[in-house]
Amino acid sequence: MASDQDLVVETVKDILSGFPPFVLTADRRWDRELWGVLAEAGLTGVGLPEEAGGSGGALADAVAIVRTLAAGAAAVPVAEQLLVAGPAVVAAGLHLPMPAEVMTFVVADDVVAHASDDGDGPGRFVLTGAAAGIPWAQQASHLAVLASGPAGPVLALVVAGNLDLADGANLAGEPRGSFSFDGEPATGALLTPAQAAGLRGRFALTRAVQLTAALEQVLAWTVQYAGERQQFGRPLGTFQAIQMELAEMAGEVTAVTALTDAAVQSLERGSADFVLAAAAAKVRAGAAVEVVARLAHQVHGAIGFTQEHTLHHLTRRLWSWRDEAGSELAWAPVLAAGLLADGPDGLWPALTRVL
Amino acid sequence: MSNSLALAPAPPSEAAEAVRVEVREFLAAELAAGSFSTHVDTWLSGVDPAFSRKLGERGWLGMTWPRRYGGHERSAMERYAVTEELLAAGAPVAAHWIADRQSGPNLLRYGTEEQRQSILPRIAAGECYFVIGMSEPDSGSDLASIRTRAVRNGSGDWVVDGAKVWTSNAHASHYAITLVRTAPSDPADRHAGMSQLLVDLSLPGITVNPIRILDGGHHFNEVVFDDVVVPGDMLLGVEGAGWHQVTAELAFERSGPERFLSTYPLVAEFARRLAASPDPAGLVTLGRLSARLLALRQLSLRIAAALDRGELPDVPAALVKDVGTTFEGDVIDEIRRVVDGTPSLDSPDPLGRAMAEAQLHAPGYTLRGGTNEILRGIVARGLGLR
Repeated sequence: MASDQDLVVETVKDILSGFPPFVLTADRRWDRELWGVLAEAGLTGVGLPEEAGGSGGALADAVAIVRTLAAGAAAVPVAEQLLVAGPAVVAAGLHLPMPAEVMTFVVADDVVAHASDDGDGPGRFVLTGAAAGIPWAQQASHLAVLASGPAGPVLALVVAGNLDLADGANLAGEPRGSFSFDGEPATGALLTPAQAAGLRGRFALTRAVQLTAALEQVLAWTVQYAGERQQFGRPLGTFQAIQMELAEMAGEVTAVTALTDAAVQSLERGSADFVLAAAAAKVRAGAAVEVVARLAHQVHGAIGFTQEHTLHHLTRRLWSWRDEAGSELAWAPVLAAGLLADGPDGLWPALTRVL
Repeated sequence: MSNSLALAPAPPSEAAEAVRVEVREFLAAELAAGSFSTHVDTWLSGVDPAFSRKLGERGWLGMTWPRRYGGHERSAMERYAVTEELLAAGAPVAAHWIADRQSGPNLLRYGTEEQRQSILPRIAAGECYFVIGMSEPDSGSDLASIRTRAVRNGSGDWVVDGAKVWTSNAHASHYAITLVRTAPSDPADRHAGMSQLLVDLSLPGITVNPIRILDGGHHFNEVVFDDVVVPGDMLLGVEGAGWHQVTAELAFERSGPERFLSTYPLVAEFARRLAASPDPAGLVTLGRLSARLLALRQLSLRIAAALDRGELPDVPAALVKDVGTTFEGDVIDEIRRVVDGTPSLDSPDPLGRAMAEAQLHAPGYTLRGGTNEILRGIVARGLGLR
């Protein structure tokens, strides 16, 4: 279907055609060249206001870019920058770093931000404590940290260039670093609990958007493979057993798409229930990974179990992203408690209100 | 890569939210007055003509149909809100369900002016009920193998012989839209030679034999036709086009929220239990189930919006029914993993009773209206595999 985002999607696809996915290793953890081209085109600042140094454009444009890059297994930290760190820094009134530089985001419950008394006035903090699973930590120039503080949650912006970050990676080889802050100075802003919850929701929705795009692409690859691969003298996809598996995958993927789209719209219209919508999208997308990744590999057979084939670029990301930004186990109780907030008879009114 | 089976998102509908509030108030008042009690799967088991007439009086049947046929010219999105509120409350909607959902729309598409004028206003009033005459004792998923025959006699009427099964509530209904062979089966074109007849169930020669389901309830029937003379003007649509018409009818049959809300009253009881005494495992389960339910609602809303655009989304409807009916059964399994209790139809505990009703109805969810295997075949065709 045609949408306002078709142009930006085509632009990103054109760029991506020159940057096929590759196996991420300790020697080559990301696609620096691709990031450079995207930044040059202004695509690493989309959805961020021009007056703050961003490229302008709507949330829907940023989501379309993130979806396209996720489906292409692009090894660049655009999702964190466009959908989480960038909007968080702008909303908190902090100075937005240049969009050509990488800014990442981490929820760091164990990092405490104390307002500092260095005379620079309000907005200065020092950070203490450890954070792990920081996406693209080694590549980032700036780190947006959702920390806790004596007066409430704090969004702190740390210059990452001179931090000694420990290397690490998720199941797909995407960099996920860790770091211990020991009195690290940062700019920052005190958040209300609702703002902090909204930020966690944004991060969860970001991974849900990436999961959705990857699930759709894995389905498409698997349908295509089943149509081409011949066994017993005919395409795999003509066997009923395979058709049942592909239809089950399609059911899961279509359900995830519908819910994620609705959660994005919930964010767009600033719904008071956005965090529950994001929680639902993350839980549903994560649950679909079980079925879709398993059946995709089953249909692909042994070749899909190798690094020679493309499939693993997305299935390994699916297995990683479902547990990042809060797994189903983390978000399902949040969703349930939110839906029960109005009492024992409140479930149905809440379900029909949230989305 | 976008998914070709995903319909466009449904635009928000203020009218739907407004009627939703009205229905909710109506249901609360009816529950308070004791006019009905909540049960699982009430669109099969909750036959209550008085309740159906109340819905008709409020304009909540035949909602999308033209006013000249007793309809209310409202959107599919509004109808969606009304039907899902009724299902979530476990209200007794079985009497009119088939007529309102698919027989009426079928008459609107294919019926003669006289058929429409004589029947549609009565459906919209909640007074005229229909059954589905498709399956036969030897024809389940293989619908094209039906053997019920209709032959024209000398006066232009149809003489019908054969039998239909699983005809829900035939003992409490007025008409069966009956799929019959009007020409001998042609091995080269199995879908040719079938037609739909509008059969008055009070005609001589029709016998309705009850078939009890697992909880002892009488909803199913075998309807036997023994030289039943059906007036010639009761042909629905075009002679020989029965298969095509049935396909369209099935899109309506498969696309609604009853394909994921049949066991919702069990979820609601589970939620009441959790609200009283929250436990971590229970909250995880409710969260997972709620996420699935929210996704299914979005899918179903997209279908309602597609109907409003004039589309007949048969492949997406098959997909939603597959995912939705799987959910209806999973609800039982997921809840009993975290709630220790004994299900019983006469349990004083509403959760135990809802669990019993849901479990004993469970085999039907993924069979009725096309088995999930048939549905997945349709989805596979939508994916370009067959």
